Amino acid sequence: MDMAKENQSLTIQEEFARKIKQENRREKIIRWAPVFVLIALIVFFTIARGRAFASVSNLVAILNQWAIPLLVALGLTFVIMLGSIDLSIDGTVGMAGSICSVLVMNTLNDNNFGFLGVLIAILCSVFVGFLVGVIHVKAKVPSFMVSFAFMNICTGIAYISYKGTPATVTDPVLKALPKVSFLGIPFITWVALIMLAICIYIQEFTPFGRYIYAVGTDESIPRSVGVNVDHVKIGVFTFAGFIFGVAGIIGLIRLGQGQAGIGTNLMFPAQAAVVIGGTSLSGGKGGVINTVVGTLIMTVLINGLTMMGIDPNVKTGIQGIIILVAVILTIKRGPTVIAK
Amino acid sequence: MENVSTTKEKRDWKKTLQQNYSFLVVILMIIIFTILEPSFLNSRNVTNLLSDSAPLMIMAAGMTPVLIMGSIDLSLGSMCSAANVLMLQLMLKMQPSIENPYIIFLLAMLLTLLFGAFGGFILGAIQVKLKVPSFIASLAFMSVWDSVALLISQMPVKIPKAMKMTTNWYKIQLGPIGLPLIIAVGLTLIYHFVMTRTAFGRGIFAIGGNERAARIAGIRVDRYKITVFVLNGVCAALGAMFLLVKANSSAPTVGEAFTLMTISAVVAGGTSLVGGSGSLVKSIVGVFIISIIKNGMNMVGVNVYWQKVVYGIIVLLAVTISTDRTSRSRIVK
Amino acid sequence: MDEKKLLFSARDITKSFYGTQALKGVDLDVYEGEVVGLIGENGAGKSTLLKIIIGVQPQSSGEMTMHGKPFAPSDPMEANREGIGMVFQEQSLIVNLTVGQNLFFGHEKDFSHLGFINWNKMYEESQKVLDEVNCGNINPRKKVLDLNFATRQMVEIAKVVNVTKSGHDDQKCLILLDEPTSVLSEQEVQNLFTEIRKLTAKGHSVIFVSHRLDEVLEISDRVYVYKDGQNAGNMPIAEATEEKLYAAMVGRETTTEYYHLDEQGKAEDDVVLETRDLGLSGVFKHCGIKLHKGEILGIVGVVGSGKEDICSVICGDLKPTSGEIYVKGKKVSYSSPSQALDDGILMIPKERLVEGIVRGLSVAENIALSNAEKLSEHGVVSKGKINAQADEWIDKLRIKTTGRDAELISLSGGNQQKVVFARALASGAEIIILNHPTRGVDVGAKEEIYELIRNVVAEGKSVILLGDTLDECIGMSNRVIVMKDGLITGEFDADADNKPSQVSLVSLMM
Repeated sequence: MDMAKENQSLTIQEEFARKIKQENRREKIIRWAPVFVLIALIVFFTIARGRAFASVSNLVAILNQWAIPLLVALGLTFVIMLGSIDLSIDGTVGMAGSICSVLVMNTLNDNNFGFLGVLIAILCSVFVGFLVGVIHVKAKVPSFMVSFAFMNICTGIAYISYKGTPATVTDPVLKALPKVSFLGIPFITWVALIMLAICIYIQEFTPFGRYIYAVGTDESIPRSVGVNVDHVKIGVFTFAGFIFGVAGIIGLIRLGQGQAGIGTNLMFPAQAAVVIGGTSLSGGKGGVINTVVGTLIMTVLINGLTMMGIDPNVKTGIQGIIILVAVILTIKRGPTVIAK
Repeated sequence: MENVSTTKEKRDWKKTLQQNYSFLVVILMIIIFTILEPSFLNSRNVTNLLSDSAPLMIMAAGMTPVLIMGSIDLSLGSMCSAANVLMLQLMLKMQPSIENPYIIFLLAMLLTLLFGAFGGFILGAIQVKLKVPSFIASLAFMSVWDSVALLISQMPVKIPKAMKMTTNWYKIQLGPIGLPLIIAVGLTLIYHFVMTRTAFGRGIFAIGGNERAARIAGIRVDRYKITVFVLNGVCAALGAMFLLVKANSSAPTVGEAFTLMTISAVVAGGTSLVGGSGSLVKSIVGVFIISIIKNGMNMVGVNVYWQKVVYGIIVLLAVTISTDRTSRSRIVK
Repeated sequence: MDEKKLLFSARDITKSFYGTQALKGVDLDVYEGEVVGLIGENGAGKSTLLKIIIGVQPQSSGEMTMHGKPFAPSDPMEANREGIGMVFQEQSLIVNLTVGQNLFFGHEKDFSHLGFINWNKMYEESQKVLDEVNCGNINPRKKVLDLNFATRQMVEIAKVVNVTKSGHDDQKCLILLDEPTSVLSEQEVQNLFTEIRKLTAKGHSVIFVSHRLDEVLEISDRVYVYKDGQNAGNMPIAEATEEKLYAAMVGRETTTEYYHLDEQGKAEDDVVLETRDLGLSGVFKHCGIKLHKGEILGIVGVVGSGKEDICSVICGDLKPTSGEIYVKGKKVSYSSPSQALDDGILMIPKERLVEGIVRGLSVAENIALSNAEKLSEHGVVSKGKINAQADEWIDKLRIKTTGRDAELISLSGGNQQKVVFARALASGAEIIILNHPTRGVDVGAKEEIYELIRNVVAEGKSVILLGDTLDECIGMSNRVIVMKDGLITGEFDADADNKPSQVSLVSLMM
């Protein structure tokens, strides 16, 4: 009642200013929310599980579990910053791993291309990313549809590459890598961290990084200063393909065996991590650091829930709900907004 | 002047082809597979092919209006899996307390359909009320329903012998055409009638064509959109029932492949992803395209893994063909 | 004036879109170091001219010069190189980037060293640019998101000044400001003016477009008045008074035949629609409107006055944040236009292509859009009834189409609008809100639409009219309400033989 009375006495300009202020305040809260969520989760699990959670060994375990989700989410980040989406992850990652497994020394055939095999596998994935981008941009098909189709195509190609019987890697270098560690951090985590550095470099120190933000905010702005928006988009999808390829190789190294399953169930945690980190699906917002926080939230959450003995089948569902809640909290609403 | 008319003719010709290419594709597929494998056209295979397409057709019927309205449902397959395991579990739960297996079957089916309707309602309401785009909302629900399916039952379960007779209807044949397909086609045609001859159906086309205009013109946009999702959920659950009866067992991943297959079938039939146009009759043709490819590839002995690749390419081709690229300024995300 | 150098000039610029002429030959001269105000009613052609100058769209005929050389930009970048920049009504800053990053957006390569952008260097340069426009107090490292609108506006101006100078430090620029004050508070407007004066002191020039006459009078050195795409006056500020400008803006008097004044009827006493203290937070407030049976109620006001938002609220598209709406004495509250339609309220929207028609559907289906439910028996819509209805209206409104099954998009603008009208009439709605019913319609079709509106009220229906021009609104209405900045500022009776003058309305609008 008081509020209503107060509103009555305001002028229209004051009302308008107040509305803007409220929006800004909301914006600020949302900007910092991921960090609070992360801290809250850590506090919660520490209280609930005590030493078992807050121990050095569990911290190391979390850092190891963190590597692949981080890697995949990094690839997705730029795509989502454009306002697009890439659903091809499960397929591309599985494909890269599978193709690599049959090209390096393995139990299925006599190939032994070594490093060249790894390179070819990554290139395949890069090419898929490029295709997704080109079809999306040139044929004007929504990215979710193109990448959804490629998720299936790539899963198929993965199976076909080893014809149903997964190949076990016998290449001595690849077999040894999972055990290599430097400064106490395992090789796999190092790769993720190097990719993280590359992504930060792209986002913060190249014109391309600026263009990603601009395209996501409003395509007409970069277009008006002569930036080739199509190239930016294709570039982002191609780069995502590259990262998914690397993730595929890492998955292969970890598992020792090439199979389409390497990629299974990577997409949901990645999508959830990116959106909960604060990179909005409408584009132009967030970034690599947000994704780091987001993937940490997801990793801590899964780690903690596993410790609390939750049914592993519930995990995927939780990821879906997290995506939904994060989107609902950040999306624009109102009677005239159209959601298709 | 002359120039104008020829380009117009060209456009008309192109349009006709764009609208009806799916029939040509069906004929072409049949010819190709018959050349590659003459037994493709023998009566047993045709019977097989036709009855196999029933569950897909039901799900495609549910999905078509979703696409006409410009939305999408990526959770369809997962909903189907969840409904599939749910129905059998319900039957098993009711077995001790109810004697008549037919009543058990009907009750379980009814509850499963309700579950589908409920799932569709939630999805629709989230889109309409909270303004979350359907692809992302349904993506989230894909993982939710997958989880639900696995929570209900992790392993494939067979229908107990005592209740087997409830599935006999699935094998009834009227000539080369089985009862399941007749039901599926019948339901699709009813839905087609609803889409073309009721205020609701016409509203859906208007919403897909221009949702803003539809709203201003006083069409009950929110209610219609939710209804389409509810019907889509019911169709997914019904498809799940067909799959359960067909296989005589439930499996928590049975629907996985159907999301892609259904979308492939609908877009291959000629319903555009942009919304505003399409038809359920076209989707029937689309379903046959997919079924023929699936069956034909099996007959010719193509590795089963190629199927995913082929469906993916079909979706890409069909979507690319049906997308209107004339307006340059339209931004696609 | 003579000692000043001519910076930019436009001669006899025309522009036509889809058969309607937005500009019928206008002139504009800008000298170095001056602010030129540009005023005119909605649709007078101001925005069109700005778009031509900045290179967003080419003119149909006419010539422009800049720095004494012929000037015909093919895109905004070319205009920038020649020293012309524009601050658009919608801001074109990327909010998640910093001020400096926005200032040099698209020019990052100039700061790249060994593949890294040297941010420090960019921010130093940014500081210089901000100093140039006297905004040294803005921190270039701040994100645009964290700035208020006024500061953003200054960043935008700094950005435009920067790109237009592009290297030659002594090049004089021309900055186009399109409604720069619409989101600013009074104090912020004053700050903006101070900055503009500092800019012109350095020899740069500004074209200032605004609906607010007092602001134009305050900041400009010279004022141009446009009307219906033509020059209607050009005077130094010393000679300009509000009265003079109003008179120049409105011009011609209302004609009897054009608006079928002899057919204007008297409204009945029954109130069919009433709003009490209606408001939409931050947009409009305290709006009490009464609409009588058989009445045409005109609402006039500039863009942003809130007149369109009132219509959106009444037709159920937006929910009001305060006040009440009564329809035939019954208090109502709508959450969607479909509920308003149930009470017999329907709006014909302004943006026909975006909100009015469904492209893919046929003429017949578009006409039946609002009453498909009423045309059905036992839930089944009769195709025959839809076709019969379409034939009836095509005949009645003389809609030119190849047939009722033609796709709506193939019709001309005026005929599309008639289809939208037919839909509203067929819907059975008794309160019809006409939001710019003659927008993008050629002259002949306009007159037919006027006659149509007269017929609608003669049947006892009521109309709320937002006219495309002031003239039209006065000519058609029984009563006119004037709005300014979200408040009702005046109400006039407009009987056929006693129409209020345009000047009296304009002075309350601006």
